[in-house]
Formats: sequence, structure tokens, C-alpha cells
Amino acid sequence: MRSIFGLFAKSPFGPLVQHAERVHDTVVLIRPLMDAFVAGDWERTEEIYRRIEVLEHEADVIKNDIRDHLPKSLFLPVDRGDVLKFLKEQDKIADGAEDLGVLLTMRRTPTPESIKAGVFGLVDAVVRASERWYEVAKELPTLLEASFTGPEVDRILAMVNEVALAERETDDRQAEVTKQLFEHEEEIGAVSVMMWFNIVRVLGSMANAAENTADLLRLMLAKR
Amino acid sequence: MTAELLILAITLVAGLYMAWTIGANDVANAMGTSVGSGALTLTMAIVLAAVFEFSGSVLVGSEVTSTISKGIVETDLFAPTGPLGPDGPLLLGVGMLSALLASAIWLHLATHLGLPVSTTHSIVGSVVGVGLVSFGLHGVQWGAMGQIVASWFISPLMGGVLAFLTFGAIRGLILRHPDPVYATRRYSPYIVGATVSIMTLSFIYKVLQNRFEAPPLVMSVLGALTAGVAAGVIAGALLRATRPGSRDPYQYVERIFALLQIATACYVAFAHGANDVANAVGPVAAVVELYRDGFNGVSSQIGVPFWVLVMGGGGIVIGLATLGYRVIATIGKEITEITPTRGFSAEFGAATTVLIASSLGLPISTTHTLVGGVIGVGFAQGIGALNMAMIRNIVNSWLATVPVSAGVAALLYTLARVLVL
Repeated sequence: MRSIFGLFAKSPFGPLVQHAERVHDTVVLIRPLMDAFVAGDWERTEEIYRRIEVLEHEADVIKNDIRDHLPKSLFLPVDRGDVLKFLKEQDKIADGAEDLGVLLTMRRTPTPESIKAGVFGLVDAVVRASERWYEVAKELPTLLEASFTGPEVDRILAMVNEVALAERETDDRQAEVTKQLFEHEEEIGAVSVMMWFNIVRVLGSMANAAENTADLLRLMLAKR
Repeated sequence: MTAELLILAITLVAGLYMAWTIGANDVANAMGTSVGSGALTLTMAIVLAAVFEFSGSVLVGSEVTSTISKGIVETDLFAPTGPLGPDGPLLLGVGMLSALLASAIWLHLATHLGLPVSTTHSIVGSVVGVGLVSFGLHGVQWGAMGQIVASWFISPLMGGVLAFLTFGAIRGLILRHPDPVYATRRYSPYIVGATVSIMTLSFIYKVLQNRFEAPPLVMSVLGALTAGVAAGVIAGALLRATRPGSRDPYQYVERIFALLQIATACYVAFAHGANDVANAVGPVAAVVELYRDGFNGVSSQIGVPFWVLVMGGGGIVIGLATLGYRVIATIGKEITEITPTRGFSAEFGAATTVLIASSLGLPISTTHTLVGGVIGVGFAQGIGALNMAMIRNIVNSWLATVPVSAGVAALLYTLARVLVL
């Protein structure tokens, strides 16, 4: 062998950040999506959903590219299985955004005045949780630079806790909105209650996925 | 022109060609990690490579060169009193020339086909081939050959272990420290000191021993320590003048190590020259010596004419200047996954191993040792992703190159023998 560069494989850490970025791009769109939906602007709802769909697909392409470049013969500084789990969980956040788009374009469900404020509060909390998690994901290259040790690890563990806090907030808001929903179940109607119940559940799942992704990183670091 | 002069002339040309191809292809591996990490610009890499490859070749190259020229084939059997009679020395000259040509042809072909080959394995295989054709199994010094083959296993391992320990120390002392900037300022003078001490020790011990009287070990060690302390003090003073600048402490750490990596890059180039010049001039040294004695005897004394090493080192520099710079640029662009702390560790481990092997007269592959070094850093969690299939490539390169180059050399030698006699 006359050349050494075959030794260096493509590191997954840079592309993981790219994936995170694309995923977060989908999450940021759920607020305008909900704005359009609540305002009854079905055309705009559809349009934003299409944009989410495109971004989610782009995230999938990055995801598959990372998987394709992680053969078993690669040696990584962290467990390969953990990297793949992290990627899968991170992808679920964007899947949630897409599911939300599907639900909101499936049926022209009116928004009861009684839950409006609660729903927007929940949507914003989900976006915040995703933001907290995206801050963590952006640290991956620095974490590699720091060789998974030292003050950088402490910093990341603190940030992971922030994600957990943000997720707890979405849990609280989710419970609150669900309660309001059932308090007004008579005036809202059974089908709409079912729709809203699902919408709220999907929103909650996005924050859960963000927390699980961050937790997987914590686990990776704990194994060191 | 007599047959003797013709053999000498062709050998010199072939040796120069081999040195050229080492400069054109192999130096890139030694310098690639430094260019890839951004520690060296392309121009700087070429200038430093030229200076240190040349000095390594000329100053420390003689040990491995004499191994290739006299340490593998049973040269005593070629004496005029030996089984081949008065033609013995001439046949040894033809054999060495055949080995050189076979190695050059095989390397050219294998590189063209993209096969994993090593210059070192190629020349060692060729010389073994000549020994086997001449006297069967008796023609090869198997004891020495055993050591060489063992060193091919040990050198990547040792390069790996040293690199692992070096990066482990950087990781433990600097990266794990609550304040990596402070730790860099605190500890890197010691790292500079240790590096300079080891480089000086090998330099004083080998170089002065070769050129003059061997200095007592105590003196060498004291000299090396003095140089190390001086370098450490200077580094400390220079470090105080640096500013951590950005908010990311790791950028500062890498910036300082980019400077330290300049030293290890020189170290690698020096070690590479010391070991690999022999691949080109080992057979040349043998033929030059035979020619000097009028092909009337086989000298048993170990000594390599100085100008032969100069020719080898010069050939490497020419290869570097004519084609090598392009290969370095390509490799430097490909290797972006390595940063100065990692490059420093890998190079330090590899260069130390190669230099030790050179002092022991063992021809090893610098590239394989560097691969070992990089993997060592990977095991210390320093690198994003490493392709472990490369380990298979290393083994393949032994399995393929040694028998094939031996076969080609045997064939050439058999043909040339018919022509000469």
C-alpha cells in the first residue's frame, strides 16, 4: 500500500449535525403550520405541510447516507450501535413534524376557543425542546475534538438536562390541553376531540423524541 | 564499456530511479497527516521533507542499507573461493542489480494497478529471490530474515502503542483538564522537551557514532536532556506570548499542537529517510563495493560509501520536487479527519518506532507504522472513523509483495546470469 488515506473513513459526527439541522428545520415550521390551521387557512396549511415533507425527506437522505457509511469494519470512538440508535431517535422528531402535517391536512377540524391558547403554548414548548436538543447536537464535532472527555462532557450533560426540562414542560402543557379538551367535549364534538387528542399526542411525541435523543448521547458519554 | 562498468552504471541509474519513486510516492504518507491537519502548508511540508529526508538518509541511512546489501543474502557464498568460483562476485553484482530492477518493475506495476505494496517489502522480497535462485534455501540468512519479518509485525503494533500512550497523555493532561487552555500552556513545554530529547538522543547516538567515535551513553543522554530542557524553556516563553483568542478552548489547543506537529513532521521525514533510503541504495552499495574490488572478492566489512547515501537522499528529494509535491497535496486534501493533537501523537509514535528500527538495521514500512500510529490514536478515542479494513491491506501487502517481487527478481537474475556468463 503506497497511500495511507484509505485509513481515514468519513466521520459520522459532521453528518449527524447536518441531519439534526434538517430535522430542526421541520420542527420550526410547526408553528406557522398551526397558525394557518387554527386560522382555517387550509391552503396555507397544505403548503407548509408540503415544505415539511420536503425537509423531512432531505433528513431521510442524510440519515441513509450516514447509515451507508457506517459499515461494521469502521472503528468509531463511540459504540457504532449507539450512533445508529441516536440517528434513529433524532429522525423520529422530524417524523413527528410530518405526522402532524398529515393530521392537520386530513380533516378541516375547527379549533375550539377554549383550547387555542393551550395549543399554541404546547407548540412553542415543543419547538423550544427541539431547539435545546439542537444546541446539544451542534456540539458533536467539539465533543470529538475534546476526545469525549473533560469540561466539554460536563457542558453537554448540563445541556442534556435542559432538554429534559423542556420536555417536562411539554408534558405538563400536553396534559393541560388534553384536560381542557375533555372539559369541553360536548361542545367540541366527538370527532374533533379525537382529532385534537391525536394532534396533541403527536406534538408530545416530538418532544419525547428530542429528549430520548439527548438521553442516548448521555448514555454514550456514560459508557466512557 | 566492460561488463563490470555496465553493471555499475545500470545499478546507479536503477538506484536513482528507486530513490526518485520513493520521493514521488512514499514521502507523501510521511507528510500527509501534517498537511491534512493544517499544521503545515504544502510548501512548508515539501521544504521540511526535502531537508529532513535528505539528512535522515545521509546521517542514519547506513544501518538499513548494509542490511539490504549484506544482511539478507548469504554473501559469503559468492566469494571467489565459494561454490560459484571466480565468477561469484560478479554474479552477486548481477543479482543485486536484478533485485533492484525487479523491485522497481513490481512497484511500478503494482502502483499502476492500485495494489497495496510497500517499497520495503518489495526490495526485501527481491533480494531474497536472488539468494534463493543462487543457493536454494542456503542462500538466505534466515536468522536475519526472521528478525526482519518479526519487525514487520512489531513495528505497526509498537507505533500504535506509542501513539496510543502519547494521545492518552494529551487526553488525560490537557483535554480532560477543567481548563484545557491553561493545561496546554502548563504541559506542552514538557511535551516539547520530551520530543526534542528523544530526537536529539537518537541523533547524537546514531549520527556521531557513525561519523566519529561513539560517545558514551551517559554523555548522549545528558546532551539530549539539555537540549530537551532548553527547548522546553523556549517553548514555555513562546507560549506565554500566545492568546487563547476564541471562546472554544479546543481551537487554542489545536493551534498550539499545530506548531508542535511541525517538529514531529520533521521527525517522521528524518526517520523515513533513515529507513527507506536503503530500499533504493542497499543494492547499489553492494554493487559499488564489488566494483571497487574489481569483482574479485566479497568484502565482509560493514560500511556504506557516503556518496551512495547522498545519491539516495538526493534521489528522494528530486522525486519529491518533480512529482511528490502533487501526491502530498492530494493526500493532504483527503486526510481532513485528523487534527494536530492527533497528527502529533500518530507521527510521534510512528517516527520513534521507525528510527529505532533504523538504528537496529531493520527495514520496515514507514507507512504501515504510521497506519499503526493512527489506529493507536483511534483506540484512544481521537478519530471520528477509521477503516479497519486497512489492517487486512497491510497483511495483503506482505503476502502479495514479498513472493511476487522474489519471483520477478529470480526470473531477472536467471536471465541476466545467462547474458553475463
